[in-house]
Formats: sequence, C-alpha cells, structure tokens
Amino acid sequence: MRRSTGRTLTGYAFIAPWMVALAFFIGYPFLASLYFSACEYPPMMGPLFVGAENYVELARDDVFRQSMLVTITFAVVAIPLGVLLALTLAVMLNSRIRGQSVYRVIYYLPHLVPSVAVAILWMWMFNPNFGILNVVLRPFGTAAAWLLRPFAALDPGLPGWAALAAVVAAFAAWRWLKRRSEDIRAPEAGGLRSAALVAGIVFAAMLVVAAAAWTGPDDIKKLPSPGWLTDANPFPSKLSVAPSWALWALIYMSMWGVGQMAVIYLAKLQDVPVELYEAADLDGANWWQKTRHVTLPMISPVILFNVVMGIIGAFQVFTEPYIMTGGGPEDKTRFVAMYIYDQAFQYQRLGYASAVAWVLFLVIVALTMLALRISRERVYYAAR
Amino acid sequence: MGSVPEGVGERRGPGPSRRLPVRPAHAALAAVVAVVFAVGAFERRPAMTDDFDRERDAEFKKTWDTRLHISYWEKWGSFERDACQAMVDAFNRSQDEIYVHYVNTSQVDRKSMLAIMGGDPPEVVGLWASNVSPFAEAGALADLGPLMERAGLERSRYTPNYLKLGTYRGRICALPTTPASVALYYNREHFRERAAELRAAGLDPDRPPRTTEEIDRYADVLNEFGQGGEPIRMGFLPTEPGWFNWTWGFYFGGRLFDEKTERITADDPGNVDAFLWTKRYAERYGREKMLQFRSGFGNFDSPQNAFIDGHVSMEMQGVWFSNFIRRHRPHMEFGVAPFPAAPGVPGPVSLVDCDVIAIPAGCRHPEAAWRFVEFSQREGLAIICRLQGKHMPITEPPASFREGHPHLELDVFERVAASPHAFIQPRIRVWREYQREISKAFEHAWNWPVPEGELEGLEGAERQRKVDELCRAEIEKTLVKVRERIQRQYDKRKEREVLRAERTRP
Repeated sequence: MRRSTGRTLTGYAFIAPWMVALAFFIGYPFLASLYFSACEYPPMMGPLFVGAENYVELARDDVFRQSMLVTITFAVVAIPLGVLLALTLAVMLNSRIRGQSVYRVIYYLPHLVPSVAVAILWMWMFNPNFGILNVVLRPFGTAAAWLLRPFAALDPGLPGWAALAAVVAAFAAWRWLKRRSEDIRAPEAGGLRSAALVAGIVFAAMLVVAAAAWTGPDDIKKLPSPGWLTDANPFPSKLSVAPSWALWALIYMSMWGVGQMAVIYLAKLQDVPVELYEAADLDGANWWQKTRHVTLPMISPVILFNVVMGIIGAFQVFTEPYIMTGGGPEDKTRFVAMYIYDQAFQYQRLGYASAVAWVLFLVIVALTMLALRISRERVYYAAR
Repeated sequence: MGSVPEGVGERRGPGPSRRLPVRPAHAALAAVVAVVFAVGAFERRPAMTDDFDRERDAEFKKTWDTRLHISYWEKWGSFERDACQAMVDAFNRSQDEIYVHYVNTSQVDRKSMLAIMGGDPPEVVGLWASNVSPFAEAGALADLGPLMERAGLERSRYTPNYLKLGTYRGRICALPTTPASVALYYNREHFRERAAELRAAGLDPDRPPRTTEEIDRYADVLNEFGQGGEPIRMGFLPTEPGWFNWTWGFYFGGRLFDEKTERITADDPGNVDAFLWTKRYAERYGREKMLQFRSGFGNFDSPQNAFIDGHVSMEMQGVWFSNFIRRHRPHMEFGVAPFPAAPGVPGPVSLVDCDVIAIPAGCRHPEAAWRFVEFSQREGLAIICRLQGKHMPITEPPASFREGHPHLELDVFERVAASPHAFIQPRIRVWREYQREISKAFEHAWNWPVPEGELEGLEGAERQRKVDELCRAEIEKTLVKVRERIQRQYDKRKEREVLRAERTRP
C-alpha cells in the first residue's frame, strides 16, 4: 500500500511542473478571459464588469460578422480542397517510382518554412505586375479569356455549361471504361491512384466549367493578370458570397502547405492490408468499389483527423493575412483571429477581444463536435 | 494475468537498513525546484550601470558610478535614431549627475504600456501623438503642466497644434519632439519636360498647382501612357502613398469630428466631395490599370519609391520625405508647396502630427526624468529636428537652427503647420477604429465598380454626370455606415467611462 502511494506520488511529482504550468499559463488565462469577456477592459485601467454587453455588441458588429464570414468561407473552400489535394499527393507519393523519398521530402519541405518567410515569399509571387504567378498566368489567362469571352457574351449559364459538362462527363466515362477494361492485378497500387487521377481531372474541369459559367466580363478582363491580394471583388463576380480575389490568393497559398497532411495520409495508406484488396479482387470489385469500400474506410480516421485539424487551423489563420494584406482590402481577408488581435492590442479592448475569442472557441468546439458526430458512422477503427 | 512480475519495481539491496529516506527521483526533483527558486530569489537584477561601453562612454568614465542612471525608450531606427542619441549625448555631457540610456524600442507604445502596467516603466518614453489620449485617460502619464510652470517653460513658445497633440483634457501629458506637417512634393524635371504642353493647356510649368482642380489639369498633362493604354507615369495618384486617405476631406472643407456636439461627422459633405474627387481618378484612368501600376512601386524607403523613381509626378508627403529623396536620388530636382485645397476652401491646409516625449506614471526617478525632458525641449529640439531634417515645433526657432539645415524647403512646412486651417487627428478614444474605418471606406469607394448597366446608351458629359451621381450615392452610403458605427462606439465608451467613474468614486 505504502509502495503504491509512493509510486503515485512519484508520478505526480514528475508531471507536476507541467501541471503547474498548465494551470497557471493556460488554465488561469482561459478562465480569466471568460470573466474579462463580461468586462470593459482597457489594459491600463483594469476590468469594469458590464455583464453581457460585449456579447450584445458583438451580435450587432458588422466587422465581426465580416471576419466570421471570411473565416468560414476560407474553411469551407480550403479544407476540402486541401484534403483532396493531400490525398491525391499521398496516392502519388505512395507509388513505386524512382526517387520516391526525394519527392516525399520535397512535398513536405514547405511545411518547414516559417510562416513569415512564406508570407513574404508569396507576396512577391502574387504581385500583379511582376509576380511569377501572373507572369506564368498571363499567356494562359489571355487564352482562357479569349476562350471564355464567347461564353460570357452568350449568357454562359446555358450552352457553355452544357458543352463543357458534356466534355467532362465524356472524358470521365472514357477514363473509367478504359481502366475497367484493364486487368487490375496490383490492387494495392492501382485503384485509388486511378480514381484520384480521374477525380482530379474531373474536379479541375468542373472548376473551369464553373468559372466559365460564373465569370462576367469583369472577371474575364482580369484573368490574364489578376490583382490578387489587392482586389476586393468576389470571384466569380456574379456570386456575391464567393471569396474575393484576395481570399482566393490566401486559399491558393494555403495549398502549398498540404505536404504535412499528405505525409499523414501516406502513412495510413501504407498501413492498408494488401489482403483486403486481394479479397476484394476475389469478390470481383472494380477500382472504385475498392476505393469506396476498402481504401477510404481504412484511412477514414486519418481523414477525420485532418478535417478536424483543418477546421481548427482555419479558425486560427493569422500570420499570413496579417503580413500580406493586413486584413484588407476592405476587410475581405480579415480573419477572426486578426479581429481579436486588433481589438486587444490596437484598440485596447481586452474585454471585447475576450468575448470574440470565446465565441470563436465555441464555434470551433461546435464544428469539431459536428465533424465527430457525422464521422461516428463513417469512420472505421480497426481496433473496435 | 496482469499482475506485476515479482521483483519488478522493487529495489534490490542488502536490506531495509540501507534504504535512503528519500527516493533519488524525489531528491532530484526537489533539488531542481530548489535551484529554480534560489536563482529567482537571489539573482541580481541587471543594473543600468552594467551597460558601460568603453568607446561610447569613455568620456563619462569618471562620473559613471556617481551618476543616477535612467532609461529613455524611443522608437527611432537608422539616422533618426542617431539624432535622438545625439540629443541624449548632449544631455549627458551637459551635467554630471544623471546619465540617460537611450533604448531603441520597437512597438514602443505596447511595450511601454506593459511596463507601466507591470509597475516598472522607463523614466522617459517617446510615443506617438495618437498614444496620448489612451495613455492619459488611464492615468499612465505624468502631468507635465506644473513642472513646465516651475521650470518657466512657456506654453506660448510652441506652435499651438503641436502642444495640443500632447494635451489631454487640459493636462499636458506629453511634449513634442519631432514635428510633422505635410505638403505637395512635385517633380520639377517632369514639369520642365512637359513645359510646352502645360503652357498649351493654360498652365504655368514654373509653379505647382494651387487648387485641386489645377492638380487634375496638371496631372492630365503630366500623365504618360503606353501603347496599350497602360500607365507609365501618373501626374498625380490619390492612392500614393496611401497613408493620408483619411485626410482628404479636410482639403474640401470637411471635418471628422465635432468637438462641441461630440458627433462623428464622417459623412460631412466635404468628405463626400473629397472621396468623389479621388474616385474620379479611378474611373478616368481605370481601377484595374491603377492597381497594376501601383503594384510595381517599391517600398517607401527605397529607390523604387514611386515619386523618387519618377512614376508619380506629384505626391502628398511629410517633412521627412526629403531625407529619403536625398538618400536615394540626391540630385533629383523637386519642389514643395502647400497641398492645394478645393476652390473656395481657405488654406493652407495640412495635417499636423508629431512624436512626443513623456514621463510614465510610476517611474522611479521623476525628477531626473523631468530634467532630461526639460533639456529636450530647451536645447534638444534643435539637435533632433535638425538631424532628422525637420522643422521645430516652436514658433520662434533659434536663428542658428536654419544654418546648414539639410531641408531646403523647411519654410513651407513651418508655414502650413502654423496655418489656422491646419488640422490634427481627432483626440477621441475610438480614433484608431475610426481611422481604420474611414480608410476602409476610401478603399471601398476607390474599388467600387460602377454598374455598367446604369450607363448604357450614355456618352460624354452625360455619362460622366451619371458616373458622378452613382459614385456619390455609394460614397454617401458608405460614410453614413462609418458614422453610425463609430458614433455607436463613441457613445458606448463614454457611457462606460461614466460608469467607471461612478464605481471608482470613493
């Protein structure tokens, strides 16, 4: 009995420094911020209790609403895009090709670059005048503008959309039939790669189609050389809730860092037992069925993990927009985390900033719980 | 199953008699904790006297240990830092009782705020004028009024706006160090190059524009476009440098705040007119083209600065700008004049701003701090303002001040700063929010795409009239929103101030 008490004490003694730090540096600020959120608190004057007034003000605050909209739009667009891209990348990295480990390192490298350096680098790349992106884009943009112009002129919703959709569908069907007719002998390397390839092509084509359908004359004029970080107008301009060009730039930039997500997918992909594919083959499953019923369920815990981390990450975006746009133009890249910073340190309203932080915290918790709830029936854990 | 195998976790030894009273792990942990606390408790606080530099402080070696050492936190870097250091050196040489340590501090306002809150502020701090209201309201700055009176430092010696910037509710909480006013910089080379065209347009190439209408006409002649219509040079671009977008209204007779009624006046007709004037540039020359053009400009302090490298012929800039022209293009021919106001608006109009010096409340040596602040005002201003290439914030600078001063157009900045039509930023608690909102409104007005559908079938003057009408309506709508938002915040803060006063009343 005495020995077990001693062991318990030793255990607690070892974790004590961490527990103490947790209590003081996280626990206390966490609880204190809840109290401060009910206060008017200029840092040099101390808190003044005002009840729920900050929350009432928050409900009427259109800049807060705008920052929430920006954050949610970013999350809605960037997370699925990131997951899809990372998955595609992981499948490619999983293939047995020469220099595979070099490619893995290359794709992971961007994740190691400090975010301030990344932000400054991308600012140059997004420069509308001499940024490498527009230099490369200019001929393609000019060609795209030339191709898209007739669609825009002809009410693009109808013939343009139908024609492009037909082309995409035909292409997808051709790929599918071709793959199906092939003898799939190496399921562990085959099904998903092909699926991802087709999905990627279809997705890209759909984006082009959507762009054609939604672009107006203004968008088409911009295509050869978008203003990126300085343009507050939505793209496509016909859809007022669409991300602004500036936000698209940040979304695009965030794709640069999917290497880490891809590495996690890769680890899990390599963990999928070959026997399952063999069994599926014996049952006569095609590549899609193998993807749908073997690969995706097997890697679903990792997809869930990445989605949850993506949600949390999207609601914490701060450094890049702070450096690259400062929230502008016209608040079109003002993320909630930046709004909290502004309120606390620019306007010295610690109480109001705490209220915003608490709302943000609750939103993240709610979305994470939603993701977990939705995933309860969709995620497969082998140990259960 | 599950039980611990015999012997695991036990200490083998000859017997209980040799067992230590405390386990080594516990002892090690206790030792670490003891060391941490001991270091914390007995560590000697770093003293300012440790900061002795053999070269820099050689002349003070004899009196080093007998002097009272105090610190002065200031924001400047580069040659502006050297100017401050020169003032500090002059003070240190002028007596042998106090030694001021100049501490170059980034984000000096935030760091000072934390230091004041933590009860360990520097003796003297150099802030921005916009910091005075929030700091003073919190009681974080010492009242310098009585000290000035005691030292015989007259209030009347200052250009009124500069003293006003350091005053909060009648109390002088900070004194000016380096002042700033703004004016029109124009490129004489461009004017000369287009002299014939300017004359043909009825304009005088030997003088700068005098009204906003003239700016438009001069700019029109000075503009240069490529074959594809892309701008190569703009005579004037209201978004360049982009720091003063909130001030345009003042040049059209507008105001941002009415002190008497305590009303926010963002949608004052003068402000609307000013935004419309700038918007016309976006519409006349193309929003997208201007955006592309601007993105090619370099940093302010670089040879690629739009004015310095000749991309823009006329620009609103502060007194400091000539330092940077000299640094990056020493032989550039430029002129300076009061920035034109709209026809009928009395001038000269200029933003007046300054950096200030203050004594934080709760500092350890307020008397010594005041001696340095007093020196900065009596003798230091001439040193720092000359070395920073600026004018002095006082009405009668010493005669020697202008001798050899690097800024050749200093009188323009002195004149506009002393003008009765010069203005300062509104000294209200919500100013930062207000400034951001008004700048955002400017951005919105500039970027707002005029609906093409509304202009169908219209040509020439009729089309222009319609564009103006649509833009005016959008600008008014935007500025009304700003007024409502900021007024709401202003009222709320005031209400809470009253509440705070009531609760803290004994």
